[in-house]
Amino acid sequence: MTDAAIKIRGLSKSYNGSDALSDIDLTIYKGQFFGLLGPNGAGKSTTINILTGLVRKNKGEITVFGKDIENDFRFTRSQIGTAQQELSVDWFFPIEKLLYYQAGYYGISKNMAKDRIHNLLNRLGLWEKRGSRLRQLSGGMKRRFQLAKALVHDPNIIILDEPTAGIDVEFRHELWKYLRHLHKEGKTILLTTHYIEEAELLCEYVSIIHNGKVISEGTPSGLINDLGQAGITIQLKEWKNKLTKVLGSCTYTRTENQLHFSVQDTEIEMPKIISLIVNNGCQIQRVKTEKSSLEDVFLNLTGMGINN
Amino acid sequence: MQINWIGLWTLTSREVGRFFSVYRQTILPGLISSALYILIFGFTLQQRIAEISGVPYTLFIMPGLIMMNTLTNSSSNTASSMLQMKLLQQLPDILTAPLSSLEISLAYIIGGTVRGFVNGFLVLLLGILLIGLPVENLVLSLVYIFVVAWTFSSIGLLLGQLSDSWDQLAMMQNFILTPLSFLGGIFYSIKMLPDWAQLLSFFNPIYYMINGIRFTVLGISDSSPGFSFAMALTMAIIFFTAAVLLMKSGKKIKL
Repeated sequence: MTDAAIKIRGLSKSYNGSDALSDIDLTIYKGQFFGLLGPNGAGKSTTINILTGLVRKNKGEITVFGKDIENDFRFTRSQIGTAQQELSVDWFFPIEKLLYYQAGYYGISKNMAKDRIHNLLNRLGLWEKRGSRLRQLSGGMKRRFQLAKALVHDPNIIILDEPTAGIDVEFRHELWKYLRHLHKEGKTILLTTHYIEEAELLCEYVSIIHNGKVISEGTPSGLINDLGQAGITIQLKEWKNKLTKVLGSCTYTRTENQLHFSVQDTEIEMPKIISLIVNNGCQIQRVKTEKSSLEDVFLNLTGMGINN
Repeated sequence: MQINWIGLWTLTSREVGRFFSVYRQTILPGLISSALYILIFGFTLQQRIAEISGVPYTLFIMPGLIMMNTLTNSSSNTASSMLQMKLLQQLPDILTAPLSSLEISLAYIIGGTVRGFVNGFLVLLLGILLIGLPVENLVLSLVYIFVVAWTFSSIGLLLGQLSDSWDQLAMMQNFILTPLSFLGGIFYSIKMLPDWAQLLSFFNPIYYMINGIRFTVLGISDSSPGFSFAMALTMAIIFFTAAVLLMKSGKKIKL
């Protein structure tokens, strides 16, 4: 795993004067399962859209297998298959035909694409629906189609922008299984997500991106060991506003009456936090501790929850 | 120069397939409205305007109808296809594929040209079948229809890429293209106009296109046939180049 599949150096982009990305460096190695993690609006999609040619960068250099994405766009784009976050709609053609068109854009003739398209339709559970128009498919089916479209030209790099947004649990697990299979086949996979669980479960390496900057990167377990803090979840009977001030020095998020703290050491921190809460007249209903997760790493780094 | 031939062919056949799959919206209306123009305008006005330049009025308007159908169909094909792909999130599929701006523009423009050409040709055929339109030079007429279709297909692509909504697109079509084509002399000879209006017509490019085809079909023309043809060809080159350059710039399609 020494060759870089994607190398991004000093990438910057601003929209109407506000920075979407500032000076991003990323290296994704061949065969790696790479996660780009961050809240909505962090710059994940912008990074991917620049990489695939949908957005023009302001500064920086991107190479795919050593070739520049602008000068050698035919090569670099043929290496990449992208499943966009936004679902497309096509009124005119059945989905099987759309896959043939998609293969054609990549220079693959109908005859050459046929087996692969049949295979993908079967594999992704779309065979029965091959004659349907996109608008006749359910949300989950549309996502499957989108994945088939990304894979139709057998790319070496697969980019998935929030692939599990809005799909049911069953397909999410199926998709994870399929992605692992593709990874085993030697594909390089770049996944953006704001589901921490997804990144922790699938990715060998993650980059955490926040406000257009890479704020940390490493293997999920490495990040958890280095930066991870354990979690304490405390359920209060009711929230009192004065707690905001009292707990000011702690790193935590609040959802109604539930507080989630990120701490270095639960054994030392828990009694302190509990006494702070109780001494200020709040009743605790339940306390739960969790081992450190990427979510805690994220909270620790950004001071905010990823889904905020 | 390297060309992705299969990609170009695929996108082109998609564009052509798109309008053929909805021929009730893209082919039949032009034929029906042309037939109505012939029946209503031709037969009612023919009793009052007997001949223009020695040609019966119904025949006189035929080349104009051919041109009007060619140019509205070719421009609306590219414009609506581009805008639709933009609004329905289909454009990323093409923009992330190994297709150059030239290939993408070409595919759209060929698609629009085919639609414009088919429509123009069918109206020509309608004229021959319905009122026995004599065609002076068929080959040259078809070449002319092709060149005009190419030009307006390019213009449609420019408008489609620049529009953000159907409303904007309709405004450009209704306020620019339709008046220019009506004022280009579909239903009249500019010799029937006052001097100042004749002078204005010389600045209307569609005037040359209508008169060019009037010459190849009927052998009569208000403008010089050579100049008309040169004008049509120049416009085809200018607008095609502009469309390719706009595509390359990524304006309104790439952030």
